[in-house]
Amino acid sequence: MVAELEPVAGRGHRPRVAEPPEVRDVRDASVAELVIAARGGSPVAFTSLYQRFHRAVHAVALARVAFGDAGDVVQDVFADAWQKLPSLREPAAFAGWLMTMARHRAIDVARRRRPVDAATVEASVGPTPRAEAQAALAAIRALPETYRETLIMRLVEGLSGPEIAERTGMTPDSVRVHLSRGLKLLRQRLDGEVTT
Amino acid sequence: MSAMNPGDDYLWDRSGDDPEVARLEGLLGGLAHDAPLAPLPPRRRARARTVGLAIGGGLVAAAAVALIVLARRPAPVAVEVATGGCDDRGEPGFRFAVTGDGARCGGAAARGGVLPVGAWLETAAGAEADVRIADIGDVTLLGDSRLRAVATGPAEHRLELARGRLRARVTAPPRLFVVDTPGAAAVDLGCAYELEVDDRGRTRLRVTSGVVSLEGHGRAAYVPAGIEVATVDGGPGTPIRHDAPAALRDAVERFDGGDDAALAVVVAATGVCDTVTLWNLLGRTDGDRRRLVFERLDGLAIRPEWVLEDDVLAGRPDAIEAWRRDLDTSWTVGMSPTSVQCLGPEPAAPGEAPPGNAPPPGKAPPPAPPPATPPPGEAPPPTTWAPPASPPAPAPTSTPEAAPPTTWR
Repeated sequence: MVAELEPVAGRGHRPRVAEPPEVRDVRDASVAELVIAARGGSPVAFTSLYQRFHRAVHAVALARVAFGDAGDVVQDVFADAWQKLPSLREPAAFAGWLMTMARHRAIDVARRRRPVDAATVEASVGPTPRAEAQAALAAIRALPETYRETLIMRLVEGLSGPEIAERTGMTPDSVRVHLSRGLKLLRQRLDGEVTT
Repeated sequence: MSAMNPGDDYLWDRSGDDPEVARLEGLLGGLAHDAPLAPLPPRRRARARTVGLAIGGGLVAAAAVALIVLARRPAPVAVEVATGGCDDRGEPGFRFAVTGDGARCGGAAARGGVLPVGAWLETAAGAEADVRIADIGDVTLLGDSRLRAVATGPAEHRLELARGRLRARVTAPPRLFVVDTPGAAAVDLGCAYELEVDDRGRTRLRVTSGVVSLEGHGRAAYVPAGIEVATVDGGPGTPIRHDAPAALRDAVERFDGGDDAALAVVVAATGVCDTVTLWNLLGRTDGDRRRLVFERLDGLAIRPEWVLEDDVLAGRPDAIEAWRRDLDTSWTVGMSPTSVQCLGPEPAAPGEAPPGNAPPPGKAPPPAPPPATPPPGEAPPPTTWAPPASPPAPAPTSTPEAAPPTTWR
């Protein structure tokens, strides 16, 4: 690393050399640090962001599109995020920014296809989930939109409540409420207490 | 929260017990997303586009020409070779500063300045030079070394190391920074690395973070963090991990030197932390030899269902590349495909075999690998992957934006 030369009495000039950049493990990095590095072009940092967020993005997609399309939405969203990341000025806003991109992309895909229901799950391209899983997923999708994403993140993607809060930018209390009320409605629906 | 019900602890953080939620998890967990990140397209560089459009002066025809030129990645800016030292004359080049005594730039003694394209920077044994690579990183040229500036511009920054050793730390889009050596080129894919050219012109590359592609003589070696590679007959040899056991290291040298029979020894000596070596060998072998490599790699790593055995054995580049992309997820975090910690400070868990030759769960054990002892006279394997010159981690700053440049591994 290079810096200006500073005069040193009796010895002419001595280079004032800045310290080399720190080398750190991505697993120790905060999301904001990874965003800054990825914004600067680091594929390692961006891959780490992918590893932290891909399941949340998949959940957002799965709440709106067929299972076979949700994986494509994930890749599209991250390819788009890679291009647009330099324009994200506030690293702390990354989670909300990414989720918004995911929702827009999923809605675009859903508009081009039939409404998502159990039949669409079967008809989608790619591996087909078991019938029982399809039915459970269809029941979640029939819930009010507020609860769908959170429940899919928890029950499908295996994220805990605190992880959902971190990945979405929601407060932990909001996530708790969404999970609890969403599960209550899902139980009623699966027990046949609520009809669509 | 008032909205919480009995059993919600499990729903929140899996503490407690809720059989119904657990049943739903089991039912739906198979739908979870598990695919790796697809290859990233080159990022569109707004600055380059702006420059191109400015050249056009707003005229549509000129802008079109500029975009075509940009699409073809124009040759970097080149200037006349400096012969009378390297004072900053406002020419394109690489700013540098020297520590110690005995450095020359453009044929004259130098303490600092700008290394213009075409000029040589030479350090004596007691000197080092820090060379800034535009705004994307820096290179430390160690003592008794010779470095030339080849090109610098928006499309590429390029140096040539004719002799000696350098350490590079770069944060930039892939392939923007290249160092030529006799017979090979180290192409940065976002990383920190050490490059050495010995008196015989042999290049040795050691990657400490990120990934470098060492290319030359029609061959390319994919070298992620924790891996090193040396050139053989000008082109890159087979990459191995820094702490490879002597048996593997010796066998790789013999194989790279033309001893085909050594391949079986190489394959037998590889373990779960040697998947980089095996993957690189897929593209350097054919027929039964490739099958030998394939079967070993297939036994150590879970091959994605979309990577077909027949395609790999046929040497289809897209299939081999698809497998690399899947493996890359573990390589970038210093782990084996079966989650054994290969790099980093975490030691092997008690009772667990040391990284390198442990068979993955559910896989057949490897065929009697040789003992993993370091070669005589060699230092024990490193426990971290920070470059030797890295300072201790600085105190955290309150604003990440103000932090010094960081290279992620």
